[in-house]
Amino acid sequence: MNSEALVTVSGLHKSFGDVDVLRGIDFEVNRGEVVAIIGPSGSGKTTMLRCVNLLERPSGGRIEVDGRILCEEQPDGSMRFSDKAEIRAIREHVGMVFQRFNLFPHFTAVENIIEAPMAVRGVSRADAHARALELLESVGLAHKADSYPLQLSGGQQQRVAIARALAMDPALMLFDEVTSSVDPELAGEILLVMKRLAQDGMTMLVVTHEMGFAAEVADRVLFLDHGLIVEEGAATEVLGDPKRQRTRSFLRAVLERAPMVEDGMDDDGQ
Amino acid sequence: MDWDVVLESFPLIWKGAGKTVGLFAWSLAVGTVLALAVALMKISSAKPLIWFATFFSWLFRGIPLLILLFYAFFALPEVGWLLSPFWAAVLGLSLWTAAYQAEVIRSGIIAVDHGQTEASDALAMTRGHSMRRIIIPQSIRIMVPPFTSNATTLLKQTSLATLVTVPEMTLLTQRIFSNNFKFIEPIFVLAMIYLAMTTVLIIGQQIAERTFRLRT
Repeated sequence: MNSEALVTVSGLHKSFGDVDVLRGIDFEVNRGEVVAIIGPSGSGKTTMLRCVNLLERPSGGRIEVDGRILCEEQPDGSMRFSDKAEIRAIREHVGMVFQRFNLFPHFTAVENIIEAPMAVRGVSRADAHARALELLESVGLAHKADSYPLQLSGGQQQRVAIARALAMDPALMLFDEVTSSVDPELAGEILLVMKRLAQDGMTMLVVTHEMGFAAEVADRVLFLDHGLIVEEGAATEVLGDPKRQRTRSFLRAVLERAPMVEDGMDDDGQ
Repeated sequence: MDWDVVLESFPLIWKGAGKTVGLFAWSLAVGTVLALAVALMKISSAKPLIWFATFFSWLFRGIPLLILLFYAFFALPEVGWLLSPFWAAVLGLSLWTAAYQAEVIRSGIIAVDHGQTEASDALAMTRGHSMRRIIIPQSIRIMVPPFTSNATTLLKQTSLATLVTVPEMTLLTQRIFSNNFKFIEPIFVLAMIYLAMTTVLIIGQQIAERTFRLRT
């Protein structure tokens, strides 16, 4: 096992009722690495991401983040989860950015950012405030510190959400299709912030449909389909020269807006 | 209508206004605290708490308020719990309004987007903190109109305390009936005072809605 691994996921299963969304996922994320997760709608990529901070409780498998075990399947097949305090302790170091921002609409931008550091870390209001302004500056929104979320554009809201997650000084950032609910012309400002974050060495796990971003910023790409990692490797390989028919079909569908071949069998044989 | 009788009746009835407001304020305060507790139980994940809360709102929404008041005033002394008319009425009114307000509070809380809870969780906040700072403040905006409707009903229903001998406005009005056999004027005065009081509540609702609206 790689000693540099910040996230280690093995045998991850998740079912909702009779539906098996994840059917045995194994992957690692090393410190400082940016891993993009791509795949068709319904492939399980968002569910997989949400398992990493236990917003979704896996049905099987084991997840370890920063040396702490969030959950582990027991020999009898039952799941053992860390207690609430331990889960909170892990979440303190794992930032998450959501597709629909989930900013607190009754708080200003700066209040959104200082709430968790003050409540969870016990940071003083003055220190939290100073740090929040720095973070807003870094995402280009210093002038919006006292604006309420609904007064901001989607792109601005998402940048505040990134600043909010960063205020907890996370070791790992999870991004769940963070450009999918903003107008296309505003996606760039979010992606730019993420790109800078990657350059600063942040470990990132990014569920995305932005293939350009994945190609440019991600070190590694995981292609998910029907709850399994079908293909993984360096971004240039998976995106530039995919080995699997399923990956090729997906990339063509995304890049050329061609309909996806649903019954495309994988040419595993080679 | 004889306006002289109206003017004579007013001070006699107004003497009971303190009791009416007292019944209302105490019942609203106690009822709201109870309602919050019941609502939180109902959305908790502990089965016994859910059962208790479900039982509570079933029971106290299902029995006429007047019968609850009779229980508090006539039946409790039989089991050795003697309350003054005022506090017996507060007890009955509190339980009754709590059952309704619990549903208002619960529906307000569950109406807040689940993403707010997820964001709080992801930021490692405790459930209690997230309830207090994130969820409940946002739910108040949703609760204000139905909460005020219930509060308005509560204010008017304090008139039933007449029947457990609390000397509030309606009881004092009835005394005028039996003293001088005037009906129309005292009833008119009584109705106008209730209307004035509920108007204050409705204005309060408008102020609250403005206070809790989201800034856009």
